[in-house]
Amino acid sequence: MARYILKRVLLALPALLGLVLLTFVLTRVIPADPAAMLAGDAATPAQIADIRTRYGLDQPLWRQAVTHVRQVMTGDLGSSIFTGRPVAEEIGFRLPATLELTFAALFLSVLFGVPLGLLAALDHNGPVDQVVRLLSVGGLAIAGFWLAIMLQLVFSMELDLLPLRGRLDVALGTPPTVTGLYLLDSLLAGRLDMFGNALKHLVLPAVTLCLPGLASIARFTRSGVLETLQKDFVLYARAAGYSPFRLAAIYVLRNAVTVTVTQVGLLFGALISGAVAVEAIFDWPGLGTYAVQAILAADYKALLAVTLVVGVVYAVVNVLVDVAQALVDPRVAEQLK
Amino acid sequence: MKRLLRDPVACLGFLLVVFAALVAAFAPWLAPYPDDAFDSHLLQRLKPPSAEFPFGTDYLGRDILSRVILGTRNAITVAVSVVLAAMLIGVPMGLVAGWRDNWLSDVLMRVTDVFLAVPQLILALALGQLMAPGLTTAMAALSLTYWPFFARTVYAETRRLRGALFVDALAGLGASPARILLLHVLPNAAPAILVRATIGMGFTILTAAILGFLGVGAAPPSPDWGLAVAEARQHLPESWWFATFPGLAILLLVLGFNLLGDGLRDVADPRLRRSRK
Amino acid sequence: MRLFAALLAALLLFATPPAGAQPRPLVWGDTLPATLDMHVVFDVPSQFVLLNAYDGLYRYQGNDLVPWLAESHTVSADGLTWEFKLRPGVKFHDGSALTAADVVYSFHRLLALNRAPAAAFSPVLKPENVTAVDAHTVRFVLNQAYGPFLAAMPIVAVVNPRAIAPHVKNNDWGAEWMAANDAGSGAYVLNPANYQARVSLDMARFPDHFMGWGHNRNPINEVRSRPVMETSTRVLSLMRGELDSTDSYLPTDQVERVNRNARTRVAQDQSMRVFLLRMNNRKAPFDNRDVRLCFAHAFNYEGFNEIILKGLVVRNGGPNPNNLWGNPPGLEPYKYDLALARQHCDRARAAGAPLGREIEVHVQTELEQTVQAAQMFQADLRKVGVNLKIVPNTFAGIVTATQQATTTPDMWVHWVSAYFIDPENWVGQMYDSRFHGTWKASSWYSNPEVDSLLTRARTSVVQAERQELYAAATRIVVRDSVDIWVYNTVNLRGLSRRVQGYSFSPVGSGGELRLMSLSE
Repeated sequence: MARYILKRVLLALPALLGLVLLTFVLTRVIPADPAAMLAGDAATPAQIADIRTRYGLDQPLWRQAVTHVRQVMTGDLGSSIFTGRPVAEEIGFRLPATLELTFAALFLSVLFGVPLGLLAALDHNGPVDQVVRLLSVGGLAIAGFWLAIMLQLVFSMELDLLPLRGRLDVALGTPPTVTGLYLLDSLLAGRLDMFGNALKHLVLPAVTLCLPGLASIARFTRSGVLETLQKDFVLYARAAGYSPFRLAAIYVLRNAVTVTVTQVGLLFGALISGAVAVEAIFDWPGLGTYAVQAILAADYKALLAVTLVVGVVYAVVNVLVDVAQALVDPRVAEQLK
Repeated sequence: MKRLLRDPVACLGFLLVVFAALVAAFAPWLAPYPDDAFDSHLLQRLKPPSAEFPFGTDYLGRDILSRVILGTRNAITVAVSVVLAAMLIGVPMGLVAGWRDNWLSDVLMRVTDVFLAVPQLILALALGQLMAPGLTTAMAALSLTYWPFFARTVYAETRRLRGALFVDALAGLGASPARILLLHVLPNAAPAILVRATIGMGFTILTAAILGFLGVGAAPPSPDWGLAVAEARQHLPESWWFATFPGLAILLLVLGFNLLGDGLRDVADPRLRRSRK
Repeated sequence: MRLFAALLAALLLFATPPAGAQPRPLVWGDTLPATLDMHVVFDVPSQFVLLNAYDGLYRYQGNDLVPWLAESHTVSADGLTWEFKLRPGVKFHDGSALTAADVVYSFHRLLALNRAPAAAFSPVLKPENVTAVDAHTVRFVLNQAYGPFLAAMPIVAVVNPRAIAPHVKNNDWGAEWMAANDAGSGAYVLNPANYQARVSLDMARFPDHFMGWGHNRNPINEVRSRPVMETSTRVLSLMRGELDSTDSYLPTDQVERVNRNARTRVAQDQSMRVFLLRMNNRKAPFDNRDVRLCFAHAFNYEGFNEIILKGLVVRNGGPNPNNLWGNPPGLEPYKYDLALARQHCDRARAAGAPLGREIEVHVQTELEQTVQAAQMFQADLRKVGVNLKIVPNTFAGIVTATQQATTTPDMWVHWVSAYFIDPENWVGQMYDSRFHGTWKASSWYSNPEVDSLLTRARTSVVQAERQELYAAATRIVVRDSVDIWVYNTVNLRGLSRRVQGYSFSPVGSGGELRLMSLSE
């Protein structure tokens, strides 16, 4: 097992190096000139030239790339050319916000997706199955940004139930930072009021973001359960008088775990992408909005770091998923050898 | 096909797609005010739905019904061209990588991994900025981010099929790898590709709409749906019709593609139910 | 949907209501600048930090320039030597006294970093020529006379060298530290502990501010700045009471709605911020005056200003805001007249201007109005046979492109805000060829006569003379129809009704907190 994990990690490394280079090329050929942006409004051409030299932007691209990769290797992500602050620090604040949101969305997807999938499977090709199918496929079809605005209008403005934006009421301040996840930090600080407030703020963005995941998890649970129900031993068990409900209850759990684990890795990328628009609308200070701001401001340092961090998170999640799968189903590890 | 028709939900999807295709084909004749693709009529801006303008008018006084109809063409063009381009890159890569386990296969799959590891939307946004923003750029960016899914699917199928008896038999008969791949492996992988393509269409329309919403997609005055929702958000909730109808159009067309894809998947191969994504 | 809502409500019942009896802090929803270092950034959002956490020698109150850290100043007859007398007893936030040496340090730092706020000074001022005559007198000796020198003075924040010194790394003048920390003397103290760039900034009142607090019986003690990215979210948050202010560019379609809400109102104040469509005069067909006249007559000013923007702007027929000095008397704005436009275009075609090609207009996607103006213009230009293509872009992209005439777009849409209140900020920096390569001068207009008028205006310190010169230059620029000037902005800031004492200035858009109070 240890060798399998090691191999899996080693396989991820070249992909990450490729990612660093790809993002570098991408960001540095963006037509917006970072020097012009740095110099700011009303800057003179002489000022812009001065800044270009100072930041090494006049060096040949390959040399900048080498410098960049060397820097990243030592764990130095540099400073944002826009805010003047170390990028690692800014990401350190924004990554937990995005993780909190995506985990919440993932949690909702599993919470609703698995039972829906189960119900559909038990009523194979019946009306429940068709309705669940319509709903889950519909979930994949809704544009998140549109739904987000609609939810704001209904639940914040009309019903006045949930906050519109942000992670916490401004008057509450913020919990002392331990993990950066407000739900966890507020509990650690023993602030139940803050926990409740953070939870309230999480509802609308997480609901918006969970739909695509919910749809695929329902879909995969359904087919997983169907397959299990058609297995020989299940047929025997049914013949012996076990009710399908009971069978499902026994097998669905194990099945749900496998399916969910498989899907998490894939969904994670989709969730991070989806987070861009959702974060913008709910004013959620996460990585998605950070990336958008970086792109708009030609802040290539920040953009490089964001893509790298998301890539690393994605790789880590997928390694974990593969390892978890191998634990559940040892045949997977065999295959890789 | 017959099995597909027996499946009411998939049929609904099929009908939605066919309907959209027809609307797209005859858009200029169907739209009550075809000139509203670019014209503006300031005096009638933001009028609620009425007999004259069934979907109301937008912030420049343009008929939203006409623009939704005209926008169908955009959506379908984007979906079809992105998926085709992604297939052109992804399918050959998957075939080559899946055929033999060698260094080439490793390199190809690592490259695929790199592209999969970049968050698609961020890559598309960056590319959108890189080239001048616009619909063509958005399409190029989406193709560049979507091909890895085809590569993965085809890779898995090829690996599955290359061990099949008929492939060994063909190789024994002296058929070249290219011939085997193109004439025998590819047709067998076609159902999987078709399913992925159909779902990809829905996915593409949605992502293109997000790009339009973030300002990197279609350029105004294009009747693009995502762009329309983006333009409308400042006018909510007063002018609810402005965002609602383009939003519904996105929903219905994507729903159509997804239901169809879902139905196709069931028909194509029960084993695919367990395939990843 | 209703059932789902009820379920959610039940779920959330255990969440306690917001605690705390003390008055809720002011929550400011305007955009934050990229950094807190006022010697690095100089744009509209930075004014909020500059005006509240820092002080300058002079300051704008309303449209007027008033002595601030300085009590008074003198200028030599040749306009080269300026002396500023400092007010005694000014304290920085750390309690140390603000002296002439600190002002000198601030200018040295500004010029060494050489970023946006230095642009007005670096051409005329060398660091060694800023000196402290005594503890309360600062002397500037300019390389050449510079008329707008005083008007530009409020740009420069006086910073505390003693606060910065421990944080200087590799000779960076403490730049990394200053980007997220406070070294000022202003009426509010920045709290670095909760600062997140572009996300949140907390400030607390500075009781020892040198201006005292006698003018305000009930000042605001705690301020939380929480910029909201999306316009629609920003407006909704204000109406819901989650914010006390929006930015000052509320969409005109929202004004009525915000005013109707019992909790909120809109402050409307004429600003100095000119909206225009730029033409690249260096590129065909815009090198032809008839083409420019044709375009100027094809823009539906009234439709845009009165219908789309609901009359919440003021028609402005030239580069300088109407409400500024230096405008020629009786300047006649161009009128929307498609027949006249067609005549000019026909004449231009006859002269060989390539009007058949697609003309590109670049818009700033995130700024809705630029997109609307371009779309409306596009529809009208079709009627005179001109094909306009709208290209979405960002400010960063356009600024980069305007560094050279060949890469500058045919047209682009933007505003010129009040960086300092002087015609130099508008006509001076927009149409003098010496500024070519900056976005402000991106029409690439060059006319030796205008250059000479503007140079003379710039290098004079006699107000009456400068007024004449700027007016003369403006008249020529308008006659040449260099750009399409549309309106002067009326700033629209959504405010909660509990905010009192909001007082507008074109510089900073009324974000000066020391004048405000909260009624509960």
